[in-house]
Amino acid sequence: MFRWKATAAAAVVAALALSGCAAGDGGGEGSSSTLVLGAIAAPTTYDPSGAEWGNRSPYYQAVFDTLLLATPEGTIEPWLATEWSYNDDNTELTLTIRDDVKFSDGTALTADVVKQNLERFQTGTSPDAGYLAGVTGIAAPDDTTVVITLGAPDPALLNYLTRDPGLVGAPAQFDDPNAATDPIGSGPYILDTAATVTSTSYVYKKNPDYWNPDVQHYDALTINVLTDPTAALNAIKAGEANGVKLANNDNLAEVEGAGWTVNANELDFQGLLLLDRAGTMNPALADVRVRQAINFAFDREGLLTALQSGNGTVTNQVFPATSDAYDEKLDSTYTYDPEKAKELLAEAGYASGLTISMPTVSVLGATTFTLIAQQLSDVGITVEATDVGMDSFIADMLAPKYPATFMALEQNPDWQLIQFMIAPTAVFNPFHSEDPKIDEMMSQIQNGDEATQAKVAGELNAYLVEQAWFAPFYRVQGSFGTDANTSVKMLPTNAYPALYDFVPKG
Amino acid sequence: MIRFILRRLLSGVILIFVISVVAFSLLYIGSGDIARRILGQNATQEIVDRKAAELGLNRPLYEQYWDWLTSAVQGDFGRSWFSGQLVAQGVSSRLAVTLSIVIGATLIAAIISVVIGVLAATRRGWIDRGLQFTSVLGFAIPGFLIALGLVLVFSINLKWFKATGYIPITTSFSGWMSSVTLPVIALAIGTIAAVAQQVRGSVIDALERDYVRTLRSRGLGMGRVVAKHVLRNAGGPALAVLAVQFVGLLGGAVIIEQIFALPGLGQLAVQATVQSDIPIVMGLVIVTASIVVIVNLLIDLAQAALNPKVRLS
Repeated sequence: MFRWKATAAAAVVAALALSGCAAGDGGGEGSSSTLVLGAIAAPTTYDPSGAEWGNRSPYYQAVFDTLLLATPEGTIEPWLATEWSYNDDNTELTLTIRDDVKFSDGTALTADVVKQNLERFQTGTSPDAGYLAGVTGIAAPDDTTVVITLGAPDPALLNYLTRDPGLVGAPAQFDDPNAATDPIGSGPYILDTAATVTSTSYVYKKNPDYWNPDVQHYDALTINVLTDPTAALNAIKAGEANGVKLANNDNLAEVEGAGWTVNANELDFQGLLLLDRAGTMNPALADVRVRQAINFAFDREGLLTALQSGNGTVTNQVFPATSDAYDEKLDSTYTYDPEKAKELLAEAGYASGLTISMPTVSVLGATTFTLIAQQLSDVGITVEATDVGMDSFIADMLAPKYPATFMALEQNPDWQLIQFMIAPTAVFNPFHSEDPKIDEMMSQIQNGDEATQAKVAGELNAYLVEQAWFAPFYRVQGSFGTDANTSVKMLPTNAYPALYDFVPKG
Repeated sequence: MIRFILRRLLSGVILIFVISVVAFSLLYIGSGDIARRILGQNATQEIVDRKAAELGLNRPLYEQYWDWLTSAVQGDFGRSWFSGQLVAQGVSSRLAVTLSIVIGATLIAAIISVVIGVLAATRRGWIDRGLQFTSVLGFAIPGFLIALGLVLVFSINLKWFKATGYIPITTSFSGWMSSVTLPVIALAIGTIAAVAQQVRGSVIDALERDYVRTLRSRGLGMGRVVAKHVLRNAGGPALAVLAVQFVGLLGGAVIIEQIFALPGLGQLAVQATVQSDIPIVMGLVIVTASIVVIVNLLIDLAQAALNPKVRLS
């Protein structure tokens, strides 16, 4: 009888609803002993020799320790290494390693294990393996001493050891293919492989034998991969997490409306990279007046409002505000002055205009490229835009196929930034642009003491702004939401806060 | 019967083999710089080349395919290039999630659409028109819109169900229910619309037949006539539509899985395809093709069971 069927159907729906209700109350998230975090990317491997940092840092920090610690105040503190010192010409770094650390499989941490980890990272396929390219030798003369020898001074090395190159994993995993999914580390938490769903949800339990219980603020940890901004926002509104990294600044009002706090830092700048400074692909860009004209063509405040809803700070410098090289006065070098731009172009011989080819990509926002093209055309520069897919975008930029491009780049500590976008061998200097003054300043920074480094970095920054190697628009605000029960301190050097800085409130 | 099943399974295997060749070739041609994608924008070209060599990405198409095929027939589908996880493990753990929502949605849809279809066909009049209208609505409104609406009302405002995530049935039955109910409803609504229409049409057709008039004239109540006789005859076409819907749901579940952050096949499929994570995509292709072959076989057997006039050949 279909009445029977209807009753059966009604009964099933009722059962669903009731059990659903019951579970809804059961919850469990947000209790002070479990920290539930949301990240925007999953780790590509749990093998520390292939590790990355940035938005993937919490996964590695949960189960591994690094040699040194980067603090929210911008300093470098001891972690697995208790002391360190350079020799006189900064080519040898000696580290003293703790003697009381054990991995979760019971093996002890020794200097030899640290040495092998560093070597594996150097020869491995981590995207950051190049950080250790300047290391010519690593020695472990005794159980608690590691000596790293460099071909030339590397002011960024200590900084690198607070990140993925400094991760130390257990020796049992060196030749184990399962290392990609079942890590063995010395960190504050241990991965619960049974409850973990790779690429979606990583579950950890407190490590009862951790050497630094003061930073273990929670008994359990879950990191959920929320790549979709809508799913992330829903998780925030439904109270299903304690801390979530926000992929963009489009929904900050809603996040705050849900009773959450938006914690901000500034880590990236967005702007044009005027890569072809020698003019090999586009002769116009060889003239500094043309590059300066481009800098005058942009209404940076307007771009910040239009593209980031005002979340960020306008700038003319690629060095971040936290750097010693930063000079607030430089930010008034290039105002929004299309007339001045046209004047400079006329002086350089381009009164009738010029054309620059640039790649565009949908991921960085359709409005972005429209606005850039419009502001440039207002001063007589035509943008010949080619739409490329996200994977080809980077590859084409680095080939190099274009003399200039819009890009968002991370603003790392000074030497790292120089190696990243300024040095002739830098990843984001595909034309290998060189300038004798810059070479000289780089050499002084590399070989100088801290005071020299700070002073010359400032000079380098001023020179780069004057030479208009870039046309930065603004520093973007990086946002991380925390609920009412959790407080966190943002790092000036990383997109994701350190796990150790999440603390339950009240 | 046995011969029929064996023949179907054999042609299924050949079909899966052909699909694997086509899929592999398409992935190979369409993939771009996979090593660069794995490592991201900050890696130097040297590291990218090292990674490409490690994964054997520079070898010719047939060599890479042969490698994959010889391992696959032994059960070794390799490891994901983007997460290091064993493909067999990754796919099978997510299969459970997707199957639970797809099978759940299909069952709910089947029951409710039969109820709706029969009601509409027997009662006619304004009930019929009303049910038809709602069906069309359910069909026309995209599944993800319904899903977003459900999340807003039931998870965020009323807090009756989970907004994101999946709890396995082995961990907690009520937890599983709370994470699965809204996705199942969202998926089922579109299916109900399609199948209910089909059931209504077939039942109306069947009710006009002579044997129904005869049974009624013999004094059998309408309810028994419908349940015992009409549904069996009307069931054939409805079952066929349901089968098509089931296969469609496997794909439609993708968006629902994104919205509810469910760790299912759909989510894996989108991620892996966009990244060109070839080991995972090939594993998914094999699994999905196998499911489709098996479902079609089962539907054919069910049709035969339902209607003795159907000859299995």
